[in-house]
Amino acid sequence: MKTPSDENHDLIRWLDGEMTADERRAFEATLQNDPELAAEAESMRQLSESLKTHLPAEMPVPHADFFNSQIQVRIAQMELDDAREREKAAESTAGWLSWLRMPWLVGAAAAAFAIAGLVWTQNSSSGTSTIASTYTPNPSVHAQVFHSADAQATVLMLDGLEPVPAEKKIVGFRVHRAESDAEVATTTLFDENGSVLAVVALNAKGQPQVLK
Amino acid sequence: MTKEIPNQKSEWRGRVKPLRHSCFVILSSFVLLNSSFCPAQQPAPVPAKKPATDGKVWGALVYATTDAAKLTGSTEKAPENQKDLSGRLGKVFTPYTHFEIIGQHFQDVFREYESWVVPSRDLFLKIDSKGPAAGGGMNLHLQVWREQQVLVKTDAVLHPGSPLFIGGPKWRDGQLLFVLDLQRK
Repeated sequence: MKTPSDENHDLIRWLDGEMTADERRAFEATLQNDPELAAEAESMRQLSESLKTHLPAEMPVPHADFFNSQIQVRIAQMELDDAREREKAAESTAGWLSWLRMPWLVGAAAAAFAIAGLVWTQNSSSGTSTIASTYTPNPSVHAQVFHSADAQATVLMLDGLEPVPAEKKIVGFRVHRAESDAEVATTTLFDENGSVLAVVALNAKGQPQVLK
Repeated sequence: MTKEIPNQKSEWRGRVKPLRHSCFVILSSFVLLNSSFCPAQQPAPVPAKKPATDGKVWGALVYATTDAAKLTGSTEKAPENQKDLSGRLGKVFTPYTHFEIIGQHFQDVFREYESWVVPSRDLFLKIDSKGPAAGGGMNLHLQVWREQQVLVKTDAVLHPGSPLFIGGPKWRDGQLLFVLDLQRK
């Protein structure tokens, strides 16, 4: 005996045309003997037709590039986390190798680690900054990313920005440190003498306001 | 029939008892008030817990121009590890030949909170740490803000000594630039 969920499953498969010829014949025979199921099938068929008529087969994802890049970044982070977990697990299982505690091996291992550490430090100090993704809310602004080997810098060029009015006076800060208050979502900026330069606070829309 | 003679001792006790009670109340109030207002008896304030950080960045707002006479006159100097900044900027942002630091900000990158790099109230940066990256770098989510308008959101991996140069809006006859550099630990 079929349960209601089995019938619904069959109904969906029938609507989607996923049944074999034998299954379809058997199901349509069931429909003829079950007016309630037949009414439901007709209702779902009409709804399906209506959806197919009014909705496009594919819908563009808004800001698809940014969405995809965000997913790629998350995947990269998860892979990195997994690699760290594997390293930790490998370290913990290495504890039984008591023969490593032999004095001459400890010395050799220390030397090897020191060399490896030196190589790693040199490599890390020469790491190149990268941009994984960019998103500009204003469609007239375009972000261009490239690496300048001459300048040894990564460049994020924002084209299409509205110029700052020439008469506007741009006042700079020399911020030595900042303190954040998570409860009231503010960040207080201090100069090297400990005097308050400004306070960054978020308004109701989540936009920052630099207050003095 | 006998007349009861009042006991003088018990009468005295009866009068003294309320007086003792009043004294106790006054004394208690004094002690309470004294303890409330005397700072020496207050418990020491609990020091604020310093939030965990993932690193430190240096951010600067730079004005690029071709005419030295148009510089703003800012006295900001680049830190020791950025002495060649003008030369490096000149290799990217042509045809500008003069680069003047308008404002600068050393900022800890908080692990759990957003961090703001604000060398100027006009152009500043929001940073969210996404944790350390391989090779001594740091994964960051950055937002460049121009007052209350976000110009760009980006995910970046920064490494010490490999700064991020951001070409911002035009200003006067030049351009505003933002420099962000992860500091070595």
